[in-house]
Amino acid sequence: MNVEITGLTRRFGQNMAVAGVDLRAGPGVFGLLGPNGAGKTSLLRMLATAIRPTSGRLRLLGRDPGSYGPRREIRRRLGYLPQNLGYYPGFTVAEFVEYFALLKEVPAAQIPAAVAAAIERVELGGEAKTKLRALSGGMLRRAGIAQAIVNEPGLLLLDEPTAGLDPEQRVAFRALLRELGQRATVVVSTHLVEDVGAACTQVALMDAGKIVFHGAPADLTARGEGHGTGDAPLERGYSAVLAGARS
Amino acid sequence: MTAVRAPAAARPVHATRGHLRAAARLLRLELRRNAMAWMLPVAAGLFWLTAYHKAMAAPPLWNLRATSMQKGALVAFACPVAGAAAWMGSREARRHTTDLVTITARPRWARLLTTWAATTCWAMMGYLGCVAVLYGVTAQQATWGGPLWWPAAVAAAGLSAVSALGFAAGTLIPSRFTAPGAAIAAFFALALSTVLIHGSQSYWQISPLVTGPWDIGPDAGVATFYPYLPDLSIAQVMFLTGLTIAVLGALLLPNGPGGGWLRAAAATVSAAGLLAAGTAVALAGTGKMDAHGMIAIPALHDAVNDRPVHYTPVCSRTAIPVCLNPAYTSYLPAATAALVPVLNEIAGLPGAPARISQAAATYQQGIGNSVRASLAGPSISGTPPVLRLLLPDQLLGPGMTTSALATALRASAGPAIVAGVTGDSPGVSPAQHAVAAALRMSAGLPQSSPSAPGMQPPTATGPLPIPVRSAARRFAALPASARHAWLVHHLAALRAGRITLAQLP
Repeated sequence: MNVEITGLTRRFGQNMAVAGVDLRAGPGVFGLLGPNGAGKTSLLRMLATAIRPTSGRLRLLGRDPGSYGPRREIRRRLGYLPQNLGYYPGFTVAEFVEYFALLKEVPAAQIPAAVAAAIERVELGGEAKTKLRALSGGMLRRAGIAQAIVNEPGLLLLDEPTAGLDPEQRVAFRALLRELGQRATVVVSTHLVEDVGAACTQVALMDAGKIVFHGAPADLTARGEGHGTGDAPLERGYSAVLAGARS
Repeated sequence: MTAVRAPAAARPVHATRGHLRAAARLLRLELRRNAMAWMLPVAAGLFWLTAYHKAMAAPPLWNLRATSMQKGALVAFACPVAGAAAWMGSREARRHTTDLVTITARPRWARLLTTWAATTCWAMMGYLGCVAVLYGVTAQQATWGGPLWWPAAVAAAGLSAVSALGFAAGTLIPSRFTAPGAAIAAFFALALSTVLIHGSQSYWQISPLVTGPWDIGPDAGVATFYPYLPDLSIAQVMFLTGLTIAVLGALLLPNGPGGGWLRAAAATVSAAGLLAAGTAVALAGTGKMDAHGMIAIPALHDAVNDRPVHYTPVCSRTAIPVCLNPAYTSYLPAATAALVPVLNEIAGLPGAPARISQAAATYQQGIGNSVRASLAGPSISGTPPVLRLLLPDQLLGPGMTTSALATALRASAGPAIVAGVTGDSPGVSPAQHAVAAALRMSAGLPQSSPSAPGMQPPTATGPLPIPVRSAARRFAALPASARHAWLVHHLAALRAGRITLAQLP
């Protein structure tokens, strides 16, 4: 298991953002659904080792991120795309991706090829020398994805990765997710249930800091049968589970 | 987006080898996109306007140019460097990349240190370029000596410290206003760092703007006849390096749990830096101005530096040669021209000096920051007698042009040379006054002027009595050969006070 979580909580002042999450995930694409404020981003940031849990047990890639040495090992094999991607406008796409390859301690000899491959994978090869300040929102998102995958991560965490992508790019991105999920655990936090249906092998639904559903997308779809809210079967499942959790 | 497999995937991504190569790549990347590169024209412009112009206005003496450069370079570079370093230090927070970079494997200290190093590298490249230009021009103009490296090292260490402080400010207070704030703070910190200096035993001498006894200003007489004393510079470099290490050590403390050994190492480095800086401040407080006008710190002092520098003087081809330190070669024609009229008057007379020789000034600390420079020992000594003098440029005060120096030399040394020949003991006779006045008239010297410091002053400085003035005019009206012939025969009697006004031709 690449992700093993038991009783994980995270509190921000009086607000309990994550309220006791248990989760196990192996290789594959794992979708994380939930309304705004459900705690998805907080959970993802804890998985990314960006913030520490308030309590609970967390093991990533078979290691405990609470210790310095194992945390570094985890980070070498970690990819993360935050919801709001920060970037350095003066860097070119290639420089931005190379910068993160260096920070992720990709062996120096492998960096040029790894950078080129990551940029190609997100179809930004023609923009490799373009400065980030000159890119559109969708291109920036793809540059962010490139930096996340440049180290061939064992655990890839993507927070709203398809925001800003056009339909064609989203289709291509789902294919990339499926390919990455063959070897790595890819956790995708999203509002877009069609992304989950198309790319994810497992899905969890969060509400009020807790996981209220965990299973295959087909199971979530099944939970929506006979439920009226939503245009698509998966959306109906999503609404039904949420309504059930809140009742 | 394509589902192709990256070449990198064929191999494990553990970065266990090539750390140096990776660090070099990271540094190169940071160098390419560093704000300091954009600030270099500003820093170079400031250097040109302040340090370079000021240094070039001074005579081509290495000591003047180097000390002027130390101060000027710091003032010119400190603000841009502090601003750029703060800008780079605040980059992650300003650009919202904190999460992205925090979750990478490379330690925070390595990441921050690389960014700081790139900023400092650019600052150093710009600074060293400016030093190279200034020293290159000086090398072409100077007639003797060589570049002084300690002032250059102090300024370099100062820029590293300013860069570290600016970077720390940017990291700790990540706002877009931190950079201009840091630049302004750097300016005021430097400007105010010397305000509290009182005397030569002040702890505040540790300020990198200080090159010697404060308020002495650039003085041509310092570090020409004696080697440049590196004592204060060593303490300053120690302080600035310690400060840099302390700031960076504190900044690089890891955040997050674990890494106890790293935390301990960073704390140790920081403490060592503070200890070095504190020791340097304490050492600076023990400094004392030596007789050669430089700050000597007993614990850092090397007695070898107290020995005078050996040199072969450059001399004029005049009846009485005027000899200067070779560093002042450019002054020789003007100094000779200023003194030739009076030297021609006294050449060949009994007791006249065989040579006029430039001497080293001796410095004494006065009350507060006041310093006195004077000629040590008698102005005429040795056999054959040699008249020792200080060039006006060696005295404390504003620098002067060559023509101003010649005028000042003629006004001060000329009457003193005449007085040395005609007799200058207390109670000189009216005839001696008359002859001295006549010789000054003949040589075109002012009739009343202050003496050169350290030289015997003319006894009469006020208006001469009418009979004396009449006798002086009469004696001055004689042909030079007749005047000279009379002096050859009667100078001894004149000096003994046995000649009356009536006996003067």
